[in-house]
Formats: sequence, C-alpha cells, structure tokens
Amino acid sequence: MWSLMWLPLAVNLVLAATGPTLARALHPRVGVRLLPGAMLVVASGTGVVLASLGFLALAQIPAVAAMGNWSPIALRATQLGPVPVEVTAGVAMLLLLASALRQTLHAGRLLVRADATCRRCGAHTHGLVVVEDDVPDAYALPTLPRHIPGHPPGGINGRIVVSTAMLRALSADERRVVLAHEAAHLAGHHHLYVQLAELAAAANPLLRPTARAVRLSIEREADEAAAAEVGDRRLAARALARAALAKAETSKQRRVARVALAATDGFVAQRATALLSPAPRPRRLLAAGLVLLAAVTLMGTAAAANRTDDSLDAAERPVTATALAALPALAG
Amino acid sequence: MGISTSPPPKGGRRPRGALEREILACLAEADDSLTPAQVLASLDQELAYTTIMTTLSRLHEKGVLRREPAGRAYAYSLADDPEGVRSIAVAQRMRRLLETGADRAGVLAHFVADLRPEDEQLLADLLAESRPASARDDDQRRSTHRGPG
Repeated sequence: MWSLMWLPLAVNLVLAATGPTLARALHPRVGVRLLPGAMLVVASGTGVVLASLGFLALAQIPAVAAMGNWSPIALRATQLGPVPVEVTAGVAMLLLLASALRQTLHAGRLLVRADATCRRCGAHTHGLVVVEDDVPDAYALPTLPRHIPGHPPGGINGRIVVSTAMLRALSADERRVVLAHEAAHLAGHHHLYVQLAELAAAANPLLRPTARAVRLSIEREADEAAAAEVGDRRLAARALARAALAKAETSKQRRVARVALAATDGFVAQRATALLSPAPRPRRLLAAGLVLLAAVTLMGTAAAANRTDDSLDAAERPVTATALAALPALAG
Repeated sequence: MGISTSPPPKGGRRPRGALEREILACLAEADDSLTPAQVLASLDQELAYTTIMTTLSRLHEKGVLRREPAGRAYAYSLADDPEGVRSIAVAQRMRRLLETGADRAGVLAHFVADLRPEDEQLLADLLAESRPASARDDDQRRSTHRGPG
C-alpha cells in the first residue's frame, strides 16, 4: 500500500515534537543508544520520501525521460501532487543531503584531529592530561576505533583533559566525580552517538531539539555512571555545581561578554536536579514504543521506494523497432 | 563493564586506570612532591596505604613520576615529560581548536558549559544546603594545606 509512504513524514513530525520529552523520560543509558538510531531512521526515511517525490517530477523532463525510457505522460498520471510541490520536495532533499555531507566532513575532521592529539600524549598516563589554564574545564578526547592488540593503553579509549583551574576548584572527592564522568564518556563511546544524532539533525532540521536532548542524555548517563562509581549522588551533584560556579566566576572575572561565551546550555541545572532526585528507572514501554516508531518508518520508507520503482516500471515505453534495429550495432 | 544496581562502597571498585588518574590529578594539583601517606590523606578515601604505595611505584617505573627520598618513604611528583601528564602539545592544539569555536559539531563535551544567570542561584543554593559538616572541614583543610612541604 503506497499510502504507507507518508509514514516517515508523519513519524518525523511526531519525533520532532516528542523527541526532547522522550529523551528526558527514557533511562539515559537507553535514550543515548535508541534515540540517535531512531533519528537516523526517520531522517533517512523522510529523505527517501522527498527523493521519490522529486525524482518522479524530474523524470518527466524530456531529456531525463529519454535516458530512462519512460513516458512523461504516464509518469504525470502517477503524480501525487502538483509538479511545483514535487520539485520543491526534490530540491529540499538535495539541500538536506548536502547539509548532512557537510556535517559528516566537519565532524570527521574533528574526530581525526582529536585522535591525532591523543596519540601525542604518553601511553603511560592512563589517559590523564592536565593543561595549565585559568578556566576550569574538563573534557574527554576520543580516539578513533582501532583493532590493535594492547590498545587502548591504560584501558581507556582516549584522553581525559582537565585544566589546573578545575583541579584547584574541587575537593579530591569531587575531582573523582569529574574523572569518572569523563571516563564514562570514553567507555560508552558517547561521542559517536552524539555525532549520529547531529548527523540526523543536519539531514533533518526538525530534529535539532532532539539532538540537543541526546546531548543532555549523554551527560546524564555519564553523571549516573560517576555517581555509581563514587557511591554518592549528592556528591556528584555537588561536584557539578561547584565546577559550574567556578567556571562562571572565572568568566565574570575575565569580564567576557555572555554573548561571546560558548554555548550556555542550561544542562547543568537539569543535571544537578536529576542527581538529587531518585535514580532513573527503565521505561521499557517507552523504549518499545520508540522502536515501533522506527520500524513503522522503515516500512514507510520501503513503501516509498517501491512506489517509485512501480511508477517507473509502469511508465516504461515498449521497446520500439528503431531500438531493436540498433541492437546489433551495440553488440558489435 | 556492567553497571551495578546498588552503589559500591565509597572508595571501592574502580574501572581500570581510575585510581592512577586520581593519583596523577592529585599530584598535578599539589605544589610539592607528595609521599604515599600525603597522597592517601589527600584522596581521603578508604584506600590501603600499600595500594597507594604500589601504584605510585608503578607509575614511577613507567616514567610518569619522578621521586626523591623523603625520610623512610619517597616523595613523588610528575616527571617533566612533554608527552606526559602535563602535555603541552595537547594544551596548544586543543586551545586553538576551542578558542576558534571550530568545534561547532560538539565533538568535545565539556563537563560544564557556561551557566545561565538564573541557574547560578539554583546551584549556589544546592551547594549551601547539601554540604555535610565533613565537606566544610575538607575545605578548611585544603586551604591550610598550602603550607611548607
């Protein structure tokens, strides 16, 4: 049933609207892995539907119809809407594809650079790098996946970079939280999930808020892992609060205009509140619902592709006598 | 590794390398070289002295730390290795990347981003009300720790 082909577009709207709520409701560990996957399925499904609309319009251009041996009149009969709409769909799909490719190149470059930077640090520091800086900061530098025996050195998939200001601002317990948090990012390959979500959002701007919510889920998962390791969620919340306030204090002292600062994401308050609330519970029904949405989208994507196929087949012109006469020349 | 359903005891089970990183961070933050006893006191966890001593010794063997005799023990500090804990290469490369805002794709997730003004008060309140007495003592101990050796 080709009307299924509208499903990806419908699910797209549903996911765009409910994505952030889903991310917050799902257990972080589940959300981090399921959401980017669902986003990619939906984004590519929408792309296929737009492409099929656009292609059927494109195939009516005499030059293209001649190449594919399709009858433009027969194709016009299969149109689902006016030609301008179909053309817009096709153009939109190309623009989104270009955006996705650009995103892939950009992220790929950064990931390669991060990997190269990792390899310049000693293999024996167990992944810790301390940089001299007045701004409290800590982040995880991921390596690219490798299959080398003996790697990763020190058992870690990258480097944990901490500034001296961050170390100074925190107590030993709180430092432990930060280190555990960043180690959790590396152990869980979170950077990959973030990039998958960003890719889906580049291909489908409606999913931007959902991509942002995936980032929050990733921070939440690392927070919960750190809290589990130190055995104290309140301590984890304190570490978060103290680090954030120390950073804010430094920014004020340097009188950096707010507009020039890196993204002010509002995550810290949500994360601290979540750590002080009861631990997240698995929401299996919700997870199953999301998987169902993705499955439904795949069905719709297949239906769209089939419809395009069928339309083109039905519009194929019968082989003419002229073409038959030309065959021996081709075979020669 | 699996995530346990109940929190481990404080100072308990760690992933590989976690203790080493904590010790290295402790030494990076200290102005002076530290003996195993001082590291133990600084980390303030239920760890065995021998565990600390063994880990420090192993890190020294790997060339990450250097040591000098201090009474009956050794005092450890970070070795001057450009590719070691205080990697200048990393600092330079990543600073350039972060300052130019080239990480639009957000490949690096920072532990904390900048705060919205409304969140600052919320977090300040959180800190004020959730500090147990022991943490306050902690802060006092840290600020007086910067004395002679």
